Amino acid sequence: MTASTVGLVGAGGIAQVHLPGWLDLGFDVVVHSIDGKARELTDRFGGRAVDSMDELLDAAQIVDVVTPTDTHRLIVERAAAAGKHVVCEKPLALTVADSAAMIAACSRAGVRLFPAHVVRYFHAYTAMQAAVAAGRVGTPAAQRFYRIGSAPKQPWFRDRARSGGLAMDQLIHDFDQARFSAGEVETVYATRTGDEGAGPTTVQAILRHRSGTITHVNGVWGRPGLGFRYGFTVVGPDGLLEHDSLRYPVLQYDGLADADKGYLPPVDPASSPYTAELADFARAIRDGSPARVSAEDALEAVRIATAVNRSIDEHTEIALDTAPSLHAGDDREGER
Amino acid sequence: MKVGIISFAHTHALSYAAILRDRSDVECVVTDPDHALRPAGESGGRALAESIGVGYLDTVDELLAWHPDAVIVCSENARHVDDVERAAAAGAHILCEKPLATTRPDAVRIIDACDRAGVSLMTAFPVRFTPQYAELRHRLQSGALGEVLSISGANNGRLPAERAWFTDPVLAGGGAVADHTVHVADLVFGLFPGVDAVKVFAVANRMLHADREAETAGLVSIEYSNGVTAVIDCSWSVPDHYPTWGGLTMRVIAEGGNAELAPFAERVDGFSETDRSPVWLSYGVDLDAAMLDEFLSAVAVGRRPVPDGLDGLRALEVVLAAYESIATGHPASVHQDSPDISSV
Repeated sequence: MTASTVGLVGAGGIAQVHLPGWLDLGFDVVVHSIDGKARELTDRFGGRAVDSMDELLDAAQIVDVVTPTDTHRLIVERAAAAGKHVVCEKPLALTVADSAAMIAACSRAGVRLFPAHVVRYFHAYTAMQAAVAAGRVGTPAAQRFYRIGSAPKQPWFRDRARSGGLAMDQLIHDFDQARFSAGEVETVYATRTGDEGAGPTTVQAILRHRSGTITHVNGVWGRPGLGFRYGFTVVGPDGLLEHDSLRYPVLQYDGLADADKGYLPPVDPASSPYTAELADFARAIRDGSPARVSAEDALEAVRIATAVNRSIDEHTEIALDTAPSLHAGDDREGER
Repeated sequence: MKVGIISFAHTHALSYAAILRDRSDVECVVTDPDHALRPAGESGGRALAESIGVGYLDTVDELLAWHPDAVIVCSENARHVDDVERAAAAGAHILCEKPLATTRPDAVRIIDACDRAGVSLMTAFPVRFTPQYAELRHRLQSGALGEVLSISGANNGRLPAERAWFTDPVLAGGGAVADHTVHVADLVFGLFPGVDAVKVFAVANRMLHADREAETAGLVSIEYSNGVTAVIDCSWSVPDHYPTWGGLTMRVIAEGGNAELAPFAERVDGFSETDRSPVWLSYGVDLDAAMLDEFLSAVAVGRRPVPDGLDGLRALEVVLAAYESIATGHPASVHQDSPDISSV
């Protein structure tokens, strides 16, 4: 059956990007959200609000889960059991065990699982990763990644039990990128300052890769009004690649009244990485080939982020738990 | 004023000599007796002094017999202590290249020697003299940015290829960690008077310029007594043929907003068709000249220059803790009996 309808679960910040993205790609979209905001969303962007998960699962061939992270596993497993392909917002889950269980559930049900690691579709990162893969810097020796912005306003982001905090929710992108360019991470050391629950907070992390590469990752959830900014430096024996998101603007305004500076980066709709991401997932579903980022990649990013949070709590370097965790159907994973 | 320079081992000496040559109130003489000990092909000695246009004497004894008011010590890091002790004993005020020494006992000997002789001791941290750093410090101390949470610093440069000793762990006290951690560490100390570095975690590798004995890339995490954390990228990670030597950046993350400091950012960009390479015309305040001005002004009026020997010692203690962490794989306390770094 050709997938023509997407069931969007959740109506928060990222739903406002995914909904128009799916509609642009020609999908019908039904939206369900337990906070009652689905109709508000569909009134604004299009699509049809539905009142229950059952109704959503009846209508959709693809389920896109854009709810708070602590609810991902339950919803993904339910969608998989209903035989739907699943797109899941990053981070996949708050633990490696939950991530593995979700992968196993989708595998058992014979459906695909795509993690919405959108930075994999940001052009500066794809250009850098392609150059690294082509050997243009050699094996990276030292890397720096940063991701800075005002803290998200929805309270659940500031509850570590729900979002995993700054390291899990925001720096997961940079952990994924660092692993993409320099390979598996063996140990992490991290500090956090500021109150993770409210007010500005920042995480500094140092990663050691199996390749010998060392990586610095810095993230900020800052005060309202702090602009969104991200960038990287990747250096190897044969060259250097660097980028800052504010450095080469295509269009700049000046003299306007202060605009609201949200926690998501401004994107050009014509080349939106969010739409490119959803298009890649739709293509992968259509032709059965891999997407640019796999659920296994997402699990590994969760593994790094959980180790970073442990390092913050235990004030020491943490070796990543590298026990095998991807045996489909191995439910004991969840108890490890 | 008579200013002597001991050794061209550190190439900053070339910059200092040229600046002093152009000052009408200064007479500058260099000695570089260890030139012969450096590998063949490295510049130095009388020929280098003449090419810059400053005076030259063959030995440290001759230089000190000339009775300089002040001496700038630019020998290999491990040799700072002997040169400072001799020059201070001869009554000269001292500006010592960074890092102050390669071990804590040597750094303490340097400070004690200057105290005993009643001469000033300054550590060469020129980036402190960035005007925008002074503005940032003023803004932070006025409370305009609220509490500082954390700092991301990077001091990256090319491998200092014109002198082999920089990658000799015995003479240099290490590699990139010893050479490039101290500038940002000093800038952070300068922002927080009275605050101590408490704990350091560091990692390093030799993947860049793998033929060298010392580490060429490093990341140093520092926790301070006021709760601030910092990470410093001290890597010699600027490619050999990059259009500039490198640079330094510092992001201060505070409750009231962030500040990004890039003292070497000012430049005109371009491209040379003749050279088929980018053009990078740096400009801005000559930080070496500003630092020498502070040193000579302090000497002239008999006040303590800033940053002083204790500032040099504190930055060195961070480096020593970083090497301890690299050796053990665990966070290290910043303490007063750090191991001899040349043994790591």
